[in-house]
Amino acid sequence: MGNTKSGIYRIGIVVLVALAALTGIEYIVAVTFNSAAVLFLIALAKAALVLQYFMHVYRLWSEEEH
Amino acid sequence: MSSVAVSIHESYREKLRNNRLGLWLFFVSEAFMFGGLLAARFYLWREDGVVVRPALDQQLGLIVTSVLLLSSYFMNRAETAIAHDDRENFLSGLLITAFLGLVFLAGVVIFEWGGHIKPWDGVFGAVLFGMTGMHALHVLSGVIFILIIWWNGRKGHFSADRHWGVEACAIYWHYVDLVWIFFYPALYLIGRVVH
Amino acid sequence: MSLFSLPAVKGLIAQILGTIAGMALTTVIRALMGLPAWKAEPAWVVGALLGGVAFLFAVGAFDDWLQWMVGKETPLRHGPPPDRPAWTRYFSVDYNHKVIGIQYTVWGLFLLMAGGTFALAFRTELLRSGMQFLGLELFNNFIGLHGIVMIGGILLGVGGMANYLVPLMLGAEDMAFPRLNALGFWFNVPGALLILSSLLVGGWDAGWTGYPPLSARGPIGYQLFFLGVYFIGLSSIVGAVNLLVTILHMRPKGMSLFRMPIFVWGVFATSLIQLTATQLIGLSFLMVLVERTLGMGFFDPGLAGPGKALLEGGGDPILFQHLFWFYSHPAVYIFILPGLAVIGELLPVFARKPLFGYKWVALSSLAIALVGFLVWAHHMFVSGMNPGLRVPFMFATLLVAVPTGVKFFSWVGTIWGGKLHFPTPMLFVLGAISVFLIGGLTGPILGTVPTNMPLHDSYFVVGHFHATMFGGFVFPFFAALYFWYPKVTGRMYNETLGKIHFWLMTPAFWAQTLGQMTVGVMGMRRRIADYDPALGNGMIQAGHVVITIAGFAIAFGVLLMIYNFIRSAEVGKVAGSNPWRSRSPEWQIPSPVPEHSFAAPVTVVGEPYDYGLAGSTYVRMAAAGDD
Repeated sequence: MGNTKSGIYRIGIVVLVALAALTGIEYIVAVTFNSAAVLFLIALAKAALVLQYFMHVYRLWSEEEH
Repeated sequence: MSSVAVSIHESYREKLRNNRLGLWLFFVSEAFMFGGLLAARFYLWREDGVVVRPALDQQLGLIVTSVLLLSSYFMNRAETAIAHDDRENFLSGLLITAFLGLVFLAGVVIFEWGGHIKPWDGVFGAVLFGMTGMHALHVLSGVIFILIIWWNGRKGHFSADRHWGVEACAIYWHYVDLVWIFFYPALYLIGRVVH
Repeated sequence: MSLFSLPAVKGLIAQILGTIAGMALTTVIRALMGLPAWKAEPAWVVGALLGGVAFLFAVGAFDDWLQWMVGKETPLRHGPPPDRPAWTRYFSVDYNHKVIGIQYTVWGLFLLMAGGTFALAFRTELLRSGMQFLGLELFNNFIGLHGIVMIGGILLGVGGMANYLVPLMLGAEDMAFPRLNALGFWFNVPGALLILSSLLVGGWDAGWTGYPPLSARGPIGYQLFFLGVYFIGLSSIVGAVNLLVTILHMRPKGMSLFRMPIFVWGVFATSLIQLTATQLIGLSFLMVLVERTLGMGFFDPGLAGPGKALLEGGGDPILFQHLFWFYSHPAVYIFILPGLAVIGELLPVFARKPLFGYKWVALSSLAIALVGFLVWAHHMFVSGMNPGLRVPFMFATLLVAVPTGVKFFSWVGTIWGGKLHFPTPMLFVLGAISVFLIGGLTGPILGTVPTNMPLHDSYFVVGHFHATMFGGFVFPFFAALYFWYPKVTGRMYNETLGKIHFWLMTPAFWAQTLGQMTVGVMGMRRRIADYDPALGNGMIQAGHVVITIAGFAIAFGVLLMIYNFIRSAEVGKVAGSNPWRSRSPEWQIPSPVPEHSFAAPVTVVGEPYDYGLAGSTYVRMAAAGDD
């Protein structure tokens, strides 16, 4: 997908779809066997996606232009 | 060039490095506050030692959560756009994000707060309004932040090389989303429903 | 120049007007909502909040950011204001860290003296059993005010030392965020005023900890107390962000983390705590605030007690204690870590010897900060919390003794075999070690569950706490004031007066803290206005007389110091750039420090504390213009 603009847009869409899917799974877990631990782990996975792809946390330690 | 002159006209790059770290440290700080609210939720919402939750409107919960996730996508799109000098997508992305933020706020403030639980209704009311209220305050400040960036962007500020303001606004918005990623299951999903 | 053009005065006027406007706003909104228009409590809450914010706007703390919001760039202002006398910069928003450091220190000293005055008032009341001149209500108010005003003063003192010294010690031009730095200071002024003005609206009588349910039901003064603490907490947080970024990103060439002066390590550890834990005292007070204002049942179990239906029942006061102590225990490390670091900073200078175990001392500060997060519930052994938590928290608490012991070991190792000199700052450093030893040794007694139970809420705790605060903050703070006074003013303080201050204060404090512990073991409870004169076989009265006289002696010593500083600023002999022969960067530049501290870039080429090692260099300043 690379560093091109359309490539980054596409990553954004993939992350959005993944987040939506995880939210759906959260909901299903909640109404079926309602495990707090599983729900917490899913939330952690969602948080990791947001931190990495939306918030670019790696910019803190890797020098980046702009 | 003397050091004085160097530090007064400190390079943009150095400032950017400082600004980024500063903002992230602020997030770490805020995480403790939101963490305290989560701790209060799991401490107080218990019955006979079992984690419980009030009967909230599940559809509403899913809708506002989805809206906030979608807004994060458009925020990311806006930031990517300005990093490539694409002003059109930059400005439209910001506006869509702000609009979705307002939809989220309306969902929480009008529909959730208009529901059957009020702030003074025991620990359910206290924690529900405490958590959603503190989060809504951050959403509101994020929307204002976005609108300020949009207004300045429309006047021609920010470029691919210099857009720390946009980046700060974007990661602040994602942070607000991140908090909701933990608040949503805590409020709507985890625990046994008690009517 | 008229007084009203002074930004601080503008801020004060704006705070009053803002308070009135907030009250009016609340009344109008209530009337529009069809509620009874006037209700004192919400009116005061909104008024106090708006008043504090109005102060910050009027003083000019937000000026540059407001410009940025409309897309204008503002260059960083330097130097005194162009249109006013130079001294007015201390009453204005100034971006120079040295000015901000002095603002912090002076406002901090003012609060410490105000807090001390509250203590002298109720100490005098305790001279004899029975009630003499303070009412029960006022006594309780003074107890709480003494606590929180002192804490505010200590936080400001820490901020003063950190803001003035950290950039200088690193060889950096200024802090990373000068505007945020100024805002950080100015938060404290409306904050402290809110706390002090709480006396006007009924005060608050639960002590500085503000435990509900009492604080959820008491007079309106609580709300001003909560809001004031909130403002001061915001200052802590933005100050910590600033210091951490400065320490991590603004170091010059060669200044690796393990070549930083030890004081910077202390501030680094302290800032980590301030950054994170402060949110929890803010949150816990905010929760009581909304509990009182909107009836949200977080903490007050109500008359029926807990266990009612979740939609009707009240909250749990134990939760408040958990949230509150999650900050307020680490808070004591916020106070003492910079102080202990001052001890490590000054000892090598006056022993002319390297700091013993530099790396271990640096890491011990971090260790104290981290372990400090795991000990909060030792304040709650008898609170009724889950008894299963007692033993883990006891062990974590005792673990704090290990890194603290590392520091003691280093101090003794540094003194050992040194060429000791004893000017006033060194005396205060040695006094600090002796006092902190008393506080440290009584810590495990209170941290151990079986001995904690009978001593809980007794004056023994008061004695222990004051020994840690004086040993960990007050004595080192005074040492720092005397030590860096020539750097700040360019003149030497009066050594004789300084020594009188020390010899007055140190024995007085020993008597006070040991006296407090003694009456505590006799059965004296803390935070109580009266006592049974028969306690301790009738000896308790004598104990209180000793404590009170010692308190006045300490107060006199502090006044002597203030007099010394004010007087010496005019008549003291010129100090020169490095009267203590220190190796630290701030002593290699002129005194007082010029507007732009370092005329040339600083390069670090050696170890910081190699005193007495021939030919060793710590910092090198390139001659101006040769980079």
